[in-house]
Amino acid sequence: MEDYDFLFKIVLIGNAGVGKTCLVRRFTQGLFPPGQGATIGVDFMIKTVEINGEKVKLQIWDTAGQERFRSITQSYYRSANALILTYDITCEESFRCLPEWLREIEQYASNKVITVLVGNKIDLADKREVSQQRAAEFSEAQDMYYLETSAKESDNVEKLFLDLACRLISEARQNTLVNNVSSPLPGEGKSISYLTCCNFN
Amino acid sequence: MAAATAPGPRASGGEGGVCPTSALSMERIQSFTDLADLEAAYSRLCEEEKVVQEELDALLEQQSTIENKMVALHRMGPNLQLIEGDAQQLAGMITFTCNLAENVSSKVRQLDLAKNRLYQAIQRADDILDLKFCMDGVQTALRNEDYEQAAAHIHRYLSLDKSVIELSRQGKEGGIIDANLKLLQEAEQRLKAIVTEKFDTAMKQGDLPQVERFFKIFPLLGLHEEGLSKFSEYLCKQVANKAEENLQLVMGTDMSDRRAAVIFADTLTLLFEGIARIVETHQPIVETYYGPGRLYTLIKHLQVECDRQVEKVVDKFIKERDYHRQFQQVQNSMMRSSSAEKIEPRELDPILTEVTLMNARSELYLRFIKRRIIADFEVGDSMASEEVKQEHQKYLDKLLNNCLLSRTMQELIGYYITMEEYFMRETVNKAVAMDSYEKGQLTSSMVDDVFYIVKKCIGRALSSSSIDCLCAMINHSTTELESDFREVLYNKLKQGFPATTFQDFQRGVTSAVNIMHSSLQQGKFDTKGIESTDEAKQSFLVTLNNVEVCSENIMTLKKTLESDCSKLLSQGFGGEQAQAKIDSCLSDMAAVSNKFRDLLQEGLNELNSTAIKPQVKPWINLFLSVSHNIEEEEFSDYEANDPWVQQFIVNLEQQMTEFKAGLSPVIYDTLTGLMTSLIAIELEKVLLKSTFSRLGGLQFDKELRSLIAYLTTVTTWTIRDKFARLSQMATILNLERVTEILDYWGPNSGPLTWRLTPAEVRQVLALRIDFRSEDIKRLRL
Repeated sequence: MEDYDFLFKIVLIGNAGVGKTCLVRRFTQGLFPPGQGATIGVDFMIKTVEINGEKVKLQIWDTAGQERFRSITQSYYRSANALILTYDITCEESFRCLPEWLREIEQYASNKVITVLVGNKIDLADKREVSQQRAAEFSEAQDMYYLETSAKESDNVEKLFLDLACRLISEARQNTLVNNVSSPLPGEGKSISYLTCCNFN
Repeated sequence: MAAATAPGPRASGGEGGVCPTSALSMERIQSFTDLADLEAAYSRLCEEEKVVQEELDALLEQQSTIENKMVALHRMGPNLQLIEGDAQQLAGMITFTCNLAENVSSKVRQLDLAKNRLYQAIQRADDILDLKFCMDGVQTALRNEDYEQAAAHIHRYLSLDKSVIELSRQGKEGGIIDANLKLLQEAEQRLKAIVTEKFDTAMKQGDLPQVERFFKIFPLLGLHEEGLSKFSEYLCKQVANKAEENLQLVMGTDMSDRRAAVIFADTLTLLFEGIARIVETHQPIVETYYGPGRLYTLIKHLQVECDRQVEKVVDKFIKERDYHRQFQQVQNSMMRSSSAEKIEPRELDPILTEVTLMNARSELYLRFIKRRIIADFEVGDSMASEEVKQEHQKYLDKLLNNCLLSRTMQELIGYYITMEEYFMRETVNKAVAMDSYEKGQLTSSMVDDVFYIVKKCIGRALSSSSIDCLCAMINHSTTELESDFREVLYNKLKQGFPATTFQDFQRGVTSAVNIMHSSLQQGKFDTKGIESTDEAKQSFLVTLNNVEVCSENIMTLKKTLESDCSKLLSQGFGGEQAQAKIDSCLSDMAAVSNKFRDLLQEGLNELNSTAIKPQVKPWINLFLSVSHNIEEEEFSDYEANDPWVQQFIVNLEQQMTEFKAGLSPVIYDTLTGLMTSLIAIELEKVLLKSTFSRLGGLQFDKELRSLIAYLTTVTTWTIRDKFARLSQMATILNLERVTEILDYWGPNSGPLTWRLTPAEVRQVLALRIDFRSEDIKRLRL
């Protein structure tokens, strides 16, 4: 068995060409491969980080943004602990598609999933088409954590994943706490815990 | 003070500088007035004088040695003059030799240069001769239509050093050579034109030997790219013709044909096989005449034609099979749950199979060309730099990923996954709706059916050879099992296990009242109530079995898929991350197995608390009505007519028979485990409410032994542990005297581990009416 305290699945989604693969490569390998080709299907990377002395294994799924891979990528939403919804700050279109992505999340992801909105490519500041304020307002309305990054300059990339890992840890802690309280002693008491702890919707 | 020390060096200087300066200066001595001081100074001066004397002696001793050395030195004087003369002579010789050597080597260098120039001159002469020879040769060869020979001459000309040609033109015969060169260049152009023309004619006529003949000439004329592109054009035409024919055949295929359902996959297969055969056949020529590393160019051209033909076939497929409309319908059905326009999943079956087959063929073909190109690049790049190799790898990836074939197949598979997911979900729903249970079976039909469907769908995805497609279907199956199907079972368990006997009595009254009510209202009597209780019971037990089998089936499915996938991967399908992706998706699936286990545990707890506990508890409470404060007479009476335990065992036996028949052995075992724990806990409660005489204690010990003996026969678990506390209580109740406990307690306990606290021991001792409480209190435990 591998040695880690937590294992989280993070899935990156967003339009084609917004820099999902570059964000993942930057974080997991410290690389910025220029001329990165379009991702085929899904890609899979692992990075183990240490947060407050605890080993956190992050399983990062990098998905293809192109429409024809949608049915493949959708199948990964449900098991994801977190989704990183990425757009390109120099591409208005990639921002305008966000509501559509949110609909997909609504439809396929677990209701406990944490969603982070990421505006990538801030190194191309002079070509910016989506203002920080607009994105901040949008993320606030959707109750999402929001961050701007540059995979090329390595701005905020580390922060994005580490902050997310921190939030996932605290979320996981809360869940185990809730579960411990609600689980009854075996063989005792009338309450049947599977009536309370399962919620499908 | 400064003045006092100053004369020191001067004085010592006067004394020959042999000894250290005297510690006493003259002034100092003169200043002495005291006799003692003078004496002291005198003695010190005497000592100093002695030391000086000794040193002088030592120096004088050395005099002779020094003189000897001086004599020797004087003798060496003339020799040294000789040596100096010799050395000068030697230096002169060396300088001379050096000059000589430099002279010689410069001559050698000049010679070398001359030799090189000579060689160059010879080379040039050769080249010029060659040039002439080529020129003459080309003319002759062209006249004789010996194009190979002509091309060889041109090749020779092209491989000549251009500067040589330039130099030749500047020579004396420049005019002639110029003219010749012009002729040669004209010949080159003419040959190029002829070869191209002849090639085109051969191509039009489909004359393969001629095509190959001229194909071999192109590289000699430095027209590698053109040659490959022309040759590819020819090959593409052949591919296109064959594909056209095949497509015509498809349109004429009878729907009753054995392969009709997969006719488009078959057509693609023919196309791919055709191209693969072409590559196989012509790779040696390309390699021999064009050198390694050129196969990529050929295949790149062929791929364009392949894409064109694939597009035609897939377009026909989409049209004939109504692929897009079916997908639309599936999507609509998924959006709206209204069953009115729902597409029948069974109708999708053949098309889903065909699509996966099409993709499998494409993957096979792409893997073939990938391997061929890699092998060809490897030969060509064996000496190349890392950058060139990466560049080539990039070309290859681009070709494979961006070709229309790949994109088209990705699109088809994208639709396929959605449709397969729909197929799976709808068929599972059907299996659930048609669930039936046969007497004597432990599980109902839906479990087998559901796993058959899931296996079929994942298996079909696997047969597409696309790892992403497979993973997506594994994910969808995990979702289907974890939420949809688990919810079905969970809802069934939620209805609970109907209570019986004593509770039945209560419920019987209320339901009888209800039945009366309803029958009064409807004017008829309904016996459904009683029947449905039995049904509900059975349904609950069957569901428990179902849950357990699900949990096991998931693990089996995971194992099967693991071995199937490793087979696929060992054939070289999938990227570098394929194994990791599959492992991750499968481990998610395995996690669902645990969720079913949890559900089983919950169900069992429910069964234990609603069905077993309400019955077992009253049976155990009967113990209270049997006095254990007994004398000899009652004890023997109990022996003859057992007051409690035998009936209890019979009751248990009766109750468990129902479960033993209805539950799988594993679940039954867990249930009896739960029941035994319950009995132990409840019996302890009633025990602590009873009182015992000495014989009463013996009676209880007998009863407990019978009970344990019985329970041991019905469970595979070891139950001694669960009854450890009760057995120890029985031991205490059997003591002769209060103090006898000390024979078993503390240091005397031996192998026995007490499960009772000292307070509990006292509590049990107090149950014996014949033990005095003072004695118990006085015990030191």
